[in-house]
Amino acid sequence: MQADPRGPSRRDVQVKIGGAAGFGIKAAGRTLARCFTQGGLHTFDLTEYPSLIRGGHNVYQVRVSPDEIHSHVLPVDVLVALNTETVERHHEEVVDGGAIIYDPKTTSVESVPDPKRLCIVAVPLDDIVVEAGGQRIMRNVAALGAVLGLTGYPLSFLTDSLVAQFAHKGPEIAKVNVEVATKGREFALKAACPFPVHLEPVPNALPQILVDGNEAVGLGALAAGIGMYCAYPMTPASTLLHYLAAHDHEYGVVVKHTEDEIAAMNTVIGASFAGARAMCATSGGGFSLMVEGLGLAGVSESAIVVGVFTRPGPATGLPTWTEQSDLRFVLHAAQGEFPRVVLAPGDRTDAFELTWKAFNLADQLQTPVILLGDTYLSDNRESVAPFDTAAVCVDRGKIVTDGDIATHPEALDDAGMYLRYKVTPDGLSTRALPGVTGALQVMNSYEHDEYGYGAQGEEVANRVAQNEKRLRKLDRACGLVPPPALFGADPSTAEISILCFGSTKGPVREAIGWLAREGVNVAVMQIVTIWPFPVHEVSEFMDRSKRTMVVEGNATGQLEGLIRQKCLRAPDWRINRYDGRPFSPEQIFETVREVVLGVHA
Amino acid sequence: MSTPDDFLTPNAPTWCPGCGNFGMWRALRTAYSELGLPFDKLAVVWGIGCHGNGADFTKCQGFHALHGRALPVATGLHLANPELTVVVEMGDGDAFGIGLGHFAHSCRRNLDLTSITHDNQVYGLTTGQASPTTEQGVHTPSTPTGVLERPVNTVGLAIAEGATFVARGFSDDVEHLTGLMKAAITHKGFAVLDVFQPCVTWNKLNTHAWFRERVYRLEDEGWDPTDRAKAMALTLENFSEMTCTPEECRIPIGVIYQEEGRPTYADGLTQVAGPLWKQALAPRDITRALAEQS
Repeated sequence: MQADPRGPSRRDVQVKIGGAAGFGIKAAGRTLARCFTQGGLHTFDLTEYPSLIRGGHNVYQVRVSPDEIHSHVLPVDVLVALNTETVERHHEEVVDGGAIIYDPKTTSVESVPDPKRLCIVAVPLDDIVVEAGGQRIMRNVAALGAVLGLTGYPLSFLTDSLVAQFAHKGPEIAKVNVEVATKGREFALKAACPFPVHLEPVPNALPQILVDGNEAVGLGALAAGIGMYCAYPMTPASTLLHYLAAHDHEYGVVVKHTEDEIAAMNTVIGASFAGARAMCATSGGGFSLMVEGLGLAGVSESAIVVGVFTRPGPATGLPTWTEQSDLRFVLHAAQGEFPRVVLAPGDRTDAFELTWKAFNLADQLQTPVILLGDTYLSDNRESVAPFDTAAVCVDRGKIVTDGDIATHPEALDDAGMYLRYKVTPDGLSTRALPGVTGALQVMNSYEHDEYGYGAQGEEVANRVAQNEKRLRKLDRACGLVPPPALFGADPSTAEISILCFGSTKGPVREAIGWLAREGVNVAVMQIVTIWPFPVHEVSEFMDRSKRTMVVEGNATGQLEGLIRQKCLRAPDWRINRYDGRPFSPEQIFETVREVVLGVHA
Repeated sequence: MSTPDDFLTPNAPTWCPGCGNFGMWRALRTAYSELGLPFDKLAVVWGIGCHGNGADFTKCQGFHALHGRALPVATGLHLANPELTVVVEMGDGDAFGIGLGHFAHSCRRNLDLTSITHDNQVYGLTTGQASPTTEQGVHTPSTPTGVLERPVNTVGLAIAEGATFVARGFSDDVEHLTGLMKAAITHKGFAVLDVFQPCVTWNKLNTHAWFRERVYRLEDEGWDPTDRAKAMALTLENFSEMTCTPEECRIPIGVIYQEEGRPTYADGLTQVAGPLWKQALAPRDITRALAEQS
C-alpha cells in the first residue's frame, strides 16, 4: 500500500477503473467525472493505456474533491475491476479502508493477500445487465452506479446524464441504462463495510467545465479565429485533429488530415501566406518531419502555430505515455538561425490562454510559435472555471488584408514598390496578403532582399541585414510573451524553490500544498515562455531562493541545462523522471521533504 | 490587356543560354497575359531547382518554397483564398522525387491548382545527377554505371491518381505550350502539365534536337482526351523508352486526358466561403463549444 500524504482529514476520493482495451473504460470514466463536476466537485482524471485497440490493459482514474486539486495522486480509494488483471495489477494501490468493486462471475479477487484491510464489494455487473435486457458494455454503467452508492453521492447526476446521452437513441435505451445504474448502486449500498469518505454535491458551486489539454488548445484556436488546421494522426495530438474536425462546419475552419506531417506544416505555411490563422500539431516524431518546414516559416517570416505534444522517444518510443524530453528539440529544430517563440502550458487553463495568445504572437512577430505540451496535458481532463473568453483578443500585427498597397507608403520603396521584407528597427515588416492591389511580392525560402528576391540575397550586406532583422524580432518578443508564473511561498522565505515547465506544474502545485501543511514552505516558478528564455526573472528568482530544485520529465536535465546556459546559475537539486509516467505529487513531496528535513519516506 | 512583358521583374534570368526554361517562361507569361490575369491576383509557388529561379523573374504573388514542398504550400494558399489563381512550378526532382507523395495526393484531391513540371530528366542545379525521370541505363555523376530503375511515368501517375487534366508539352513549341498552359490554368480541377524542357548543360541525351525528332501533337492525330483507359494506355506505350529511335518512339504532346465536371476538393469545403483571413477579424464566439464541456 502507498503512503498517503493527503493525510487523515482528506476529503478527496480517487476512483480507478481497469479492464481490457475496448471495454469503454474511458467513456465511462468521463461520464463519472461529469457527474461529480456537475455537482460542483473538482475532478482530475488520468488515462493510461497501451498502443493497442483491443487486448491491452486500460485504466482510467478520476480524482474527486470538494477542494481545488491540480493533479492525480497515487493511492486509489475505489478500484473498479472489470477483469482479474485489474485486481492483480492494482490492489496494492488501494488504501486501507478503500474498496474494490468487482463482478464475482468474471473477476477473481484471490490475488488480494489481505482482503480484510479493504472493502471488497461484489456487484454482479453481468447479471444486472442481462436482467435489465441491456448490452454487455453497460456493465460500466452498473459499476458507476456502484461507485456512487459507495461514496454516498446522488445517483440523479448519473441517471440525468444517461437520459441526455441516450435521448437520440430512444427512451427504451435510456431506461435500461438508468435501471442498470440503479441496480449497481443498490448492490453497493448493501456492502457490509462503510466507505470512509462521503462525497456530496457542493451547493451554489461556481460553474465548471471539464476539458483535456487538446480540447483546451482546440477551444483556444477556435476563439482566436483559426482558419486552417492540418495534421497527420499521432498520439497524443490526434484528439486535437478530431476535436477541430468535429467543429469545422460550425465554426468555418478548414481541417485537413494531410498525407504526412511535411505536408501538414507546408500547407499551414501556404494558408498563412494567404492570411489564414493556421496551425498544425503533432508529437515529436511528426515534428521531426515538420522541422524542414519550420525553418521555411522562419526565413519566409510566416505566422504559424505549431503544437508539439511530447511522448517518450526516440522514434516510435512509448506512444501513449508522457515525457518532457522535446524541450531542446523544439528550441533548436531546423538549420540556421531564426526567431521562434516556445510556450509551455502547464494545465488546461494555460492551454486555452496560451493557444489564443500564440496566434497573436505569431502574427505580431511573423514567425513560428510553438506550443510545447505532453501526453499528461493532452489526454487528461480537469475541471476548471469556464475559460475567460472575454479576455481573448485578436491582434494580427502589421498586416494589410485588402485594398491597395499604395495607401501604405511605409511599406514601399521610393519608386512605390512593395518591400515584403523591409528592414526596420524592430525587425517587423508590413505583411500584405496576396490579392492586395499593387503588391508584387515573393515569399522566399532562400535568403532574400527586401523585395523577397533571392538573386541579391547572398550579398554580404543584405544577408547580414536580413538575418539581423529577423533576429531582432526575438527582442521584440521579450516584451510580448507571458512571464513565468509563481506559486506557493515567496522564494526569500521558502525552504526551497522549484523551477518547472509544462504539465509538471500540476503535481508540483499539489505537492506544495501538502508540504505547506507539514510546515515546509516552497516557492514555485513555472517557466511559461521557454523561448525567449526569461533570463532576468529566473536569475532573480534563483538569487532570492535559499535553495533551488528543477523538476522535469526527462533524463538529461534539459531545462536545468538551459538555466545554467542562460542564467549562469546552477540549481542545487533536481528530480528527473523518464519512465513514461507523469510526476506524482507524492514523488515531489517525498523528495522535497528529504532535501529540506532530511526525512526519508 | 496586359502583355507577356508585364510579368517581368527587374531581375534578368540566370538560366543557361538555350535552357528550355526560357520557352516555358515565355509561354507562361503569354498565357497569363492572354488570360487577363492581374499579377496581384496570380499566385505562383515554386519548388527548388533551376526552374525555381523564375521566382525572381516573374511578376506575381510568389512563394519560392522548399524542394519538393511547393504543392502543400500551394494547397494551403489555394484553400485559404480560393479567389486567387494558383500555379505551381516544379522540377522533375521536386515533383517526382522528393515530392512524389505530395504530387500523388494532390492529384487524387482534384485541387483546383495547375501543376507545371519542368521535366529535363536531370538534376541541373546540383550538377547533373540522375533524376526520377532519367532513362534507365543513363550514366550520371550519381549513377556512373547507369541508372538501374525505371523512370517515373509522370503523366500515367497523374491519370492513375485522379488528376482531371493531364497534358504534356515541349518547351521549343512555345505556341502549342502556351495553349496547353491556358487550358491547364482554366481547367477546374487538378491540372498536370509535364513539360519536356531540355537541359543544355547536363543532359546530352534528351536534347532539343532529340525531342524535336520525336514529338508530335496529339490533336493533329485526332486524339480523344476523354477516355481515361486509352489515355492510361498511351502513357504506358510511349514515355518510358527514351533511348529508342525516333521512328520507334514518337512522343505525343498535348492534352492526354481531361475530365470535366468532377467536383474539386474546395467544392467539398462547404463550411467556408471566401478568404480565411476573414475568420480572424475578431475573436470567435465559442459559447456553444464551451457548453459541450460542461
